[in-house]
Amino acid sequence: MNMNLRVTLAAWVVGFSVMVGPAMAQKAAPGTNASTAAPPATTAPAGTPGSAAPFDAPPADAAAGSDTAAPAAGADVPAEPPAPDTKGLDQEVQGLKKDVVDLNRDLFVLEEELLFPANTQVAVFLSMDVGDFFALDSVQLKIDQKEVINYLYTPREVEALLRGGVHRLYLGNLKVGKHELVAFFSGKGPNDRDYKRGASITFEKGIGAKYLELKINDRQRKQQPEFEIKDWE
Amino acid sequence: MAVLMAVGVGATSSAQPTYALLGHEAPDFALHGVGGSNVRLSEHRGDVVVLSFWSSRCGPCRAQLAALDKSLATYRSAGLQIYGINVDDDQSRAIEFAHGGQTLSFALLLDPQKTVSRTYEVDNLPMTLLIDRNGTVRYVLRDYSTKSDDLYLQQLRSLLNE
Repeated sequence: MNMNLRVTLAAWVVGFSVMVGPAMAQKAAPGTNASTAAPPATTAPAGTPGSAAPFDAPPADAAAGSDTAAPAAGADVPAEPPAPDTKGLDQEVQGLKKDVVDLNRDLFVLEEELLFPANTQVAVFLSMDVGDFFALDSVQLKIDQKEVINYLYTPREVEALLRGGVHRLYLGNLKVGKHELVAFFSGKGPNDRDYKRGASITFEKGIGAKYLELKINDRQRKQQPEFEIKDWE
Repeated sequence: MAVLMAVGVGATSSAQPTYALLGHEAPDFALHGVGGSNVRLSEHRGDVVVLSFWSSRCGPCRAQLAALDKSLATYRSAGLQIYGINVDDDQSRAIEFAHGGQTLSFALLLDPQKTVSRTYEVDNLPMTLLIDRNGTVRYVLRDYSTKSDDLYLQQLRSLLNE
């Protein structure tokens, strides 16, 4: 996105925040994380047809009276102003909302590119398959023996993982070279017993971004969960 | 913990100090619940959320939890969520309390490391925060009495009506 377009869209954001209220502007503010950057679904557009009459619309009886009076008064009587096009206004507002969402997305991408350049970026994802033998509670992640995240999973998040979702657990920067990642998985294992297992991987960080995936699978034959770390080349 | 108790239980000052988080977005957190499942605050956007910081050694805290439970029974259908955040060093006390005589219909969360308590600048027990549907901290109650209970209900109704 070039700078002129960005400035224009930023001006729209300011104007739009006045129209739809500060809560929307807060959601659209740059620098918010992925969860707050989601487009608002519940904010109704300001000019929804049927929600409110335009302020300068003439009263119905006055408009009806002008129809009959106009021919009698002669040709020099000024014509009634046309009723404002609320549909057009609504479309304009929808367009502005879309621009705000697009701008927010671009800013989010830009922020990530600046904070986590591709040559040092390391991202760790977590996915889960089946989950009959393991109910995930938390994951602790250590890179080079330093704890980088300890994430608690809520039932909603676990449900999303079981439906095939992939969670980006960690995003950070690492130098080029050899590194070690250790992940500890806590939760409930078979027979509803407390269960904690670890998995580790030694990986080589090159010039490009590095993506690792923590996978939790069910091993049917052993009736146990299986934890593995996959290095996406 | 000792500092929290010393400052908290006895002192009920008439001049309430200002609270830095008022009017600001409530910091997100995820905590273990006594019942087993974890709770993340940001998952409750759209609901009015009441956070009550308490300790098992604090007498007024127990009374307040009971009062909060009553309000939940009344306003749950209007979109009210209540969480009691325990700040005891010893988790077993909180678990014992939860499984003891007093039955509560809302989740009790454990904050033994006091990370959430520090983030929310808890300087008194019980301390109750009211968070609106947009996730903004709107009211704070630093003690518990019949008077503060009335004030709590008044503030709660105003948030639920928004």
